[in-house]
Amino acid sequence: MRDIALRQQVLTTLLLLAITFALWVAAEPLLTTPAKWLAHALLTGWLPEIIETTIFEPGAFLVVTKFTDINGIVSLAAPGEDGLAFRLDTRLVSYGLPFYAALLWGSRIANPFNTFAVGLFLIWLTMALGLIAMTAKDLMLVIGYPFLTADWVPPAAVLVVSYQFSVLLMPTLAPVLIWIFQLKGSPLWHRLEGQLEKPRNKG
Amino acid sequence: MLKFLLIFVTCLMVLFTVELLNPVQAAVIQPFTAVLAWISASIILPLDDTVISSGRVLRDSASGFAVSIEAGCNGVEASIVLIAGVLAFPATWLQRATAIILGFIAIQLLNILRIISLFYLGQWNYEIFEWTHLYLWPVLIMLDVLLVFALYLRWLSQPDLSPQHA
Repeated sequence: MRDIALRQQVLTTLLLLAITFALWVAAEPLLTTPAKWLAHALLTGWLPEIIETTIFEPGAFLVVTKFTDINGIVSLAAPGEDGLAFRLDTRLVSYGLPFYAALLWGSRIANPFNTFAVGLFLIWLTMALGLIAMTAKDLMLVIGYPFLTADWVPPAAVLVVSYQFSVLLMPTLAPVLIWIFQLKGSPLWHRLEGQLEKPRNKG
Repeated sequence: MLKFLLIFVTCLMVLFTVELLNPVQAAVIQPFTAVLAWISASIILPLDDTVISSGRVLRDSASGFAVSIEAGCNGVEASIVLIAGVLAFPATWLQRATAIILGFIAIQLLNILRIISLFYLGQWNYEIFEWTHLYLWPVLIMLDVLLVFALYLRWLSQPDLSPQHA
């Protein structure tokens, strides 16, 4: 029974990955829009003196700043002047979504639709945080000093670690952590729970 | 479960930050990544004598196509996740060390397969290379971590391996 639960989970997840990735490729702009809304709200609220606006594009999140670059010197843009902008690839933070969907739908859990809806909100939150970390990294490189000395901006080292963490780990780690916490009640959870309790009971 | 999560997140953040430090990159990560490129080239060479490795770069001398193994492509981050999970779970240090060593090998075996597959995919179709490199392989590597950790839990649950006996 215990082997079946694990094997079933792995095999079903691998099979579902093909489907969920295909859906993600087809509907990525739609699926990431809530994360972009959230990232827009948080960024413009956090850095009103730095960020002019954000523009949603299919597969991308365009950040428009209030700064301009004249002969390599970054300064505040004059009214009506176009600000520096950079385009972020949203797929770098959203590919965890098909992974999460494959993990969840590969598990035999109660109320899968409700559970998936909650997980989707959490994934959007991590995606938005990922977009913010990517934006902060680009602002640090493009705008530099005015950004790093703005209010509520953490030190450069923190921004670097946040960026690396958001791009290298979060897209695959967040789905796994959310899924594990949502597994409760499933055959695989009962197996894992038994193993979690075992050393504690004996110790 | 909360204790597990707290230890896991702490270990993860500490190890991930340490990995990013320049001295650690220079002394450990970069040389290790070069070894990965060399192993990948050594596996391919008997079948394809046009491949050469130089530092972190794997190159096809015939087509000129090359891949450079960068951060996120060397399996170190995935290994850090596994190490954090193993450290957070109650077990003896011998059991933890065994799990970390064997798990690291399992992750790196799949990672070498990733490097080799990407090396050939890149020569065949760059779009597919980009897609598998950026989105598909990271998911498969994390699935590998998950599987290794689940197998570790199963191994720990064997009656004669519970911590107090060690």
